[in-house]
Amino acid sequence: MEIFLQQLTNGLAVGSIYALIALGYTMVYGVLKLINFAHGDLFTIGSYLGLTLLTSLALTGRLGALAGILCLALMVMGLVALIGALLERTAYRPLRQSPRLSAVVSALGASIFLQNAVMLIYGARFQVYPHDILPKMPLGLFGLYIPLVKVLVLVAALVMMMALYLFIQKTKLGTAIRAAAIDQGAARLMGIDVDRVILIVFLIGPALGGAAGLMVGLLYGQINFTMGWVYGLKAFTAAILGGIGNIPGAMVGGILLGVIEAMGAAYLSIAWKDAIAFCVLIVILIVRPTGLLGERVAEKV
Amino acid sequence: MNKILRVTLAFLVVGLVVWGCAKETGPMKIGLMGPMTGPWASEGQEMKQVVDLLAEDLNAKGGVLGRKVEVVSEDDGGDPKTAALAAQKLVTQKVVAVIGTYGSSITEASQNIYNEAKIPQIANGSTAIRLTEKGLKYFFRTCPRDDEQAKVGAQYIQSMGYKKLAILHDNTTYAKGLADETKGLVEKAGVEIVFFDALTPGEKDYTAILTKMKAANPDAVFFTGYYPEGGLLLNQKKGMNWPVPFIGGDATNNPDLVKIAGAEAAEGFAFLSPPLPKDLPTPEAKAFLESFTKKYGKAPASIYSVLAGDGFRVLIAAIQATKTTEADKVGEYLHTQLKDFAGLTGKLSFNAKGDRVGEVYKVYKVNAPGEFILQP
Repeated sequence: MEIFLQQLTNGLAVGSIYALIALGYTMVYGVLKLINFAHGDLFTIGSYLGLTLLTSLALTGRLGALAGILCLALMVMGLVALIGALLERTAYRPLRQSPRLSAVVSALGASIFLQNAVMLIYGARFQVYPHDILPKMPLGLFGLYIPLVKVLVLVAALVMMMALYLFIQKTKLGTAIRAAAIDQGAARLMGIDVDRVILIVFLIGPALGGAAGLMVGLLYGQINFTMGWVYGLKAFTAAILGGIGNIPGAMVGGILLGVIEAMGAAYLSIAWKDAIAFCVLIVILIVRPTGLLGERVAEKV
Repeated sequence: MNKILRVTLAFLVVGLVVWGCAKETGPMKIGLMGPMTGPWASEGQEMKQVVDLLAEDLNAKGGVLGRKVEVVSEDDGGDPKTAALAAQKLVTQKVVAVIGTYGSSITEASQNIYNEAKIPQIANGSTAIRLTEKGLKYFFRTCPRDDEQAKVGAQYIQSMGYKKLAILHDNTTYAKGLADETKGLVEKAGVEIVFFDALTPGEKDYTAILTKMKAANPDAVFFTGYYPEGGLLLNQKKGMNWPVPFIGGDATNNPDLVKIAGAEAAEGFAFLSPPLPKDLPTPEAKAFLESFTKKYGKAPASIYSVLAGDGFRVLIAAIQATKTTEADKVGEYLHTQLKDFAGLTGKLSFNAKGDRVGEVYKVYKVNAPGEFILQP
C-alpha cells in the first residue's frame, strides 16, 4: 500500500506536467484544428528562460524563495506567451487560408527552428538549475517521502488548470474561445473577433507550457535543448487520450498518463513503461475513438 | 579507333598519377567522429579540443610524412542514425583514418561503414565487448573492455560486503552488456540480484524506478548507464531520503554528473573508471595536460577525450613507421608491431582483435565538494 501511494504521487507529479503541456496542444487544436508541433519547444524555451532569469536577477535572494519563484514564474509565462503570439503571427497566420497540411509543415519547421535556436544560444550541453533555490527536504507524510518541490509543482499545476477551466467556462472571453472552437464562421457572424481569440489561445497555451518548463527545471534541475521532444510527445499523447480539443480532457489525460506510466513501471516492467502507456492509449482509442472526454469526431490532419 | 583509345587511356593514367601526387602533398585528412551535440556533448567537444591540439602540435613540428594533418570532425549527436550519416560523410571526404567515438551503440552503427571503406577506426570510449568480437580488421580501441570493467566492479561489490544487489541499465549496447556481465560474475560469488531492469534515457523523472528499486531493498545499486541519467538518479534518490550506496560504470565518469546531481547528492557515489586525466602518472601525460591547460584555460575533465588523443597519437606513429596511409599496412602495424607505445594514458599495445591490452580499471569515489577521488 505504501509503495502504491508512493508511486501514485510519483505519477501525479509527472502527470501534472504532462497535463499543463497538453493544454497547449488541445487549445490550439480546438480552435484551429492544427497540431502545434512547436509547442514542445516553447516548453523548452520556458525552462531556459527560467534559468537565465533565475541566475541573472537573483530574485529568490531578494524576495525570498516563494515570492521569488512566483515572480519568476510570471515573468517566464509572460515571455513565453509573447513568443507564442509571435509564432502564431509569423508561422501560422499567413497560412490561415491555406490547406491544413501547409500549416502542419510550418509547425514542424517552427519546431526545428526553435530547437536549434535554443541550441545556438545556450549550447548543446546540459544546463543545470542551481540546487539551493528550494529546500530539497523530503516531506514525511504517513511513511511516504515526497520532496517538497514536488508537492509545490503539483499544487501549482492544479491551481493553473482550475484557473484556466474557470476562465474558459465563466468569462466572456472564454465563451468566445469556446464559440470559435465550435464554428469559426458562425462565431464571426456573432461578432466575435476570431483572430483575437486565436491570439489569446496562443498566449495562454505557451504560457502554461513555459510554466511547465520552469517546473521541470526546478524539480529535476537538469535541462537540455532536446527535452521538448520527449515531453511534447507525451503531452500530445495525453491530449489525445483525454480527447483532443477538450480542455478538461487534456488535464485528465495528462494526469492519467503519468499515473499509468508510474504504475506500469511499478507493477509490470520499467523497460516496458512507455509500451504499456501506449497500449492503454490504443485500447482507449479502440473503445472511445474520440478520447476519454472528446465529443466531436476528430478530424484528420 | 584503337589508337585513340590508347592515347586517351595514356592521358587518363598520366592524369590520375599527377592528380594522385598532387593529393599526396596536400594535407592528410584524419577524421574525428564524436558527440558534439546531444546528451554527451561535453565528451565530444573535449575530444575535439584534444585532437585539435595534438594535430596543431604535430603540424608545428612539420606534420607526418612531410604532409600537414587536417582534422575533419563530424558530429554523431550521440545517436546511431546520425553516426551512420557522419561515417558516410567522413568516408566520402577520403579521411585516412577515424578517431572515435564515445558511446558503444554509436560506434557499432558506424563500424561496418568504415570497415567496408577500409578506413581504420580507433574508438576512444566504446567499451562494449562485442565491438571487437566481430573480426573487423580495421577496428581498434584505446579504452579497455567491459569484461574487465565487470571484473573490477564485481570485486569491489564483494569487497564492500554487499549481499543483495540491484542492477539498473539503459538498454544501450554498453550498459546492457556491462550489466549482464556483472550480473553473471557477482551471482557466481553468491551475491543475490534483487532487481534487474532498464530505464529510458532522456527522461527527467526516475522516481517510479527508484521507488520500485527501494521496495526490493538492495544493499547497493549498480547503475551501468551514462552520466546524465546517473546525476538525476542520485538527485532524486536524495529527494526520496533513501541512503543506499550507488555504484556506477565508467560512463558515469564525467564532472557533469556532480553538476546535475548536486554535490550533496553525489557525495559517496563510487564508480569504475580508467584513471582520470589528473591521476595520469606518465611524463607524456603531464606535458600534455600542461599544454592543454595553457590553450583552453582548464585541464581536460574526461579520460575519454585523452583516450581519443591516444588514438590520434598511435595512428600517427603507425603512419610514420609504415610510411604509408594504406589501411592494410597501418592496421597490420597496430595489430602486431606497436608494442608498449608511450601513450598519454600509459603503455599502449593492441591485440589481434584490436583491443588494448593491459589497462586496469580503478574505483573512484565522489567526496563532499564533488571531486573524484581515486580509491586505493
